[in-house]
Amino acid sequence: MKPLSLHLRLVLAASLVLAAFLGLTGWALDNAYRKSAENAMQEQLQGHIYALLAAADEDELGRMYLPPELPDPRFSSPDSGLYAQVVGNVGDYQWQSASLVGQQLNIIHPSDAGEWHYEKPTNHTKLYTVNFSVIWEDKNNTEHIYSLAVGGDIAPLLNQIQSFRTTLWTWLGGVALLLLFAQAAVLQWGLKPLRIVTRELNQIENGKADKLSGGYPSELQQLTGNINSLIHHSQASQERYRNSLGDLAHSLKTPLAVLQGAAEAQDARQLQAVAEEQIPRMNDIVQYQLQRAAAAGKVTLAKAIFIAPVIQKIIRSLDKIYQDKGIAHTVTIDEQAHFFGTEGDLMEVFGNLLDNAYKYGKARVNISAEETTEKLIIHIEDDGAGIPVDKIDTVIKRGQRADEQQSGQGIGLSAAYEIIHLHQGKLKINKSKLGGVEIIITFNQ
Amino acid sequence: MRLLVVEDEPTLRQQLKKQLMEKGYSVDVAEDGEAGLFHGMEYPLDLAVIDLGLPKLSGIDLIRQLRSADKRFPILILTARGNWQDKVEGLEAGADDYLVKPFHQEELSARINALVRRAAGWTSSIIQCAPISLDTRTQAVQNNGLPIELTSYEYRVLEYLMLHSGKVVSKTELTEHIYDQDFDRDSNVLEVFVGRLRRKLDPDGSLKPIETLRGRGYRFTLKPMQSGEN
Repeated sequence: MKPLSLHLRLVLAASLVLAAFLGLTGWALDNAYRKSAENAMQEQLQGHIYALLAAADEDELGRMYLPPELPDPRFSSPDSGLYAQVVGNVGDYQWQSASLVGQQLNIIHPSDAGEWHYEKPTNHTKLYTVNFSVIWEDKNNTEHIYSLAVGGDIAPLLNQIQSFRTTLWTWLGGVALLLLFAQAAVLQWGLKPLRIVTRELNQIENGKADKLSGGYPSELQQLTGNINSLIHHSQASQERYRNSLGDLAHSLKTPLAVLQGAAEAQDARQLQAVAEEQIPRMNDIVQYQLQRAAAAGKVTLAKAIFIAPVIQKIIRSLDKIYQDKGIAHTVTIDEQAHFFGTEGDLMEVFGNLLDNAYKYGKARVNISAEETTEKLIIHIEDDGAGIPVDKIDTVIKRGQRADEQQSGQGIGLSAAYEIIHLHQGKLKINKSKLGGVEIIITFNQ
Repeated sequence: MRLLVVEDEPTLRQQLKKQLMEKGYSVDVAEDGEAGLFHGMEYPLDLAVIDLGLPKLSGIDLIRQLRSADKRFPILILTARGNWQDKVEGLEAGADDYLVKPFHQEELSARINALVRRAAGWTSSIIQCAPISLDTRTQAVQNNGLPIELTSYEYRVLEYLMLHSGKVVSKTELTEHIYDQDFDRDSNVLEVFVGRLRRKLDPDGSLKPIETLRGRGYRFTLKPMQSGEN
């Protein structure tokens, strides 16, 4: 599955967080408001009970008497939404407010004296009720228990909560909308550098630019820097391929001209002689240019290659090939010594140089490598005849002049030199203590 | 000496077969990796020349499979790719030497020669079993320094016996190593070759270089000495 775009990830994540946060906030506020509204209602109803008790008087029989004009006029008008009932244990004493006229309702819950009892509304009553029982001492000092109940309609409460909710969610919605806009703007601004990279890469693809411009935030700088190096590297190797191809074509022209001349001379023996001479020369040219073009050179993001195992492999191979010579070798390579480049380049350099050492050496080849923080230095020595000092330059440049030279010895040294050069390394040829050639290669780490 | 050439390019394959047969080898050919593997597994070879870029089974895999099946004959790689990574990979897979195309005929036969000789335990190209000497490179045979003219098949028989001197070589083994698979074999011909060799190497019957062990085969009796020249 294609991974989600950064933009989508951020939008999704931020929106989820926003929704969760605002939702929870709304829910908490709603709950708190409802609780406090209910408490207020309860206190209000309690207040009514106290008011009823304050208004209560005694009739001639010593029973509780509530006057027709009660403190709150709602008790007196029918269906007002505020009702009261009183039941006493004196005979069948029962009283109810005028507002209950024509309704069959019993909201009394007799309880012990001095206790409050609250009842939430049911589907049937739709009333909040508060019960309270008192001990009433009549004229004869006889105690009676009266239970008072006051019920309040929930409709006004519900309306109040509803209107609070409307306000609350309108505001929260508004805030959510604002935050979404802010988030979009932040994303737009935050991801802008990435869009610029994409646009610049497109321009590079279309050939309108040849590298990424420099001004990127620090998090992206490593990435854009590496992209620039990769682009540079690929341009350089393309250049090298083109050059090699051109060099190859041109340098093959000379031997081809010689062959053509010989073919037109219509002398079979001369043609054979010329072909025998020119074919190895053409082969050398092809080999050299191929090696040169295949060399990767300095690679961006190259992982370090430990050189010891690569050199061991080459030595095992050469020991096999030159088995008859029984070359003794000493390998002293710093285990940690490493090379920044491709294994192909490393093999090409040491394959060619060690092959020469085995080929020209008589009985002994020494290889050593040491690494400092700045440099990797490799020595290859043999006990062969060596190269005369005045010929060293010619030998190194042999490959470059493959089209001028007479075909002869291999072009390994020259190919190795080219690759080392591509890695900004140095190759030096000395006379070895063993008698033959000492080659010193230095790479900057 | 019996060689296998595994090469997919038909012209080069035919050229190689012809050249190597002229040098006195019996040559089997295979045009792809699988055919090469079959030959390598089924026939007693003295050496295989294997191209790396083969159809069906790559040269490297062919070499690995032969080596893991404990086939010990020397293997020479032919390759168009001259880079060291490929060379080293081939040699690490179990090949003994490589040759980059294009190559000189002489270079190829010199390498083959050296490998075959080395595999038989000889470090020099000249095998000296006093007073007889045989140069595997030039195919010259001398007795006390005097050259002896041998036909191609006589030379093949003598070379095989001398490379394995002191060991008993059965007629079957000898036949298998001097003829390729297409050849109509007849062990009587072998006896004729051995008879002629005895007359040419030892006209007066004093040396008795080739011993016949009834029912077991032949043995070259003269003691070898390693020659200093290389």
